[in-house]
Amino acid sequence: MKEGLLLVLFLIALTSLCDTINQLFLKSAIDSLKFTPTFNFLKISKFIFQLLIKPRLWLGFTFSLISLCVWLVVLSKTDLNFAFSADSMHYIFIALASRFILKEKMGAFRWLGTGLIVTGIFFVSLS
Amino acid sequence: MFKKKVTFKVLLLLIASDILETTVHFLFKKSTLDVSYGQVVDLTTMAAFLKAVFASPFLWGGLLTVVTVFILWSVVLSKIDLSVAVPIASFSYILIPVVSIIFLHEKISALRWLGVFFVLTGVIFVSLSSKERVEPAK
Repeated sequence: MKEGLLLVLFLIALTSLCDTINQLFLKSAIDSLKFTPTFNFLKISKFIFQLLIKPRLWLGFTFSLISLCVWLVVLSKTDLNFAFSADSMHYIFIALASRFILKEKMGAFRWLGTGLIVTGIFFVSLS
Repeated sequence: MFKKKVTFKVLLLLIASDILETTVHFLFKKSTLDVSYGQVVDLTTMAAFLKAVFASPFLWGGLLTVVTVFILWSVVLSKIDLSVAVPIASFSYILIPVVSIIFLHEKISALRWLGVFFVLTGVIFVSLSSKERVEPAK
């Protein structure tokens, strides 16, 4: 799988990116409803209904579907154990997107964790 | 307020979601092995490949398991904090290679195990960091 490694890594990055975009749309749709967590069944049902009629949510789902299709291609090309570990690169995309698009502040501990994931993916890819 | 204590019941739910999460990826991999189709090289072969995969019962079993995991996970998160749940749920990073060796006959080198260990530690760090107090971004 040496020659195809770059292609597989690219495809895994693509699914991770689609997942991240899905999360961003989901987050944006949820935030726009200004929902406070509750155990009230009626309020939760109303929240889910309001969420389901948001076009942004379905845009997110579309990316989720693309992600699934690409993921299946990845699995057809490589070992499961490699793909699963490498897929954790979505933590990196989420971290970057949270920091630069959502303007969330990230602590040192979280950057350290993200760094460890990058190192791990590097080792997993080498073998 | 959410309870933070991991009870035996919650732990069982977490282990169940771990095992099911592993099952999802195992079934997805199985579905791609199930179809006798050559390499995906372009969009045409990809379309034919996907058509074959979506006809596989393994794939639909996997998707059904995804929904089950989602429901289980929602129950777990209503009982304990995410920062507590994720490290325990990260057990699937170990479970997947084990399942890959036993059922899919994949080979895993020492270097790859080292990589898995780094990823696992990183995921745990990221989830624990949700307790970090940081100033809001300007």
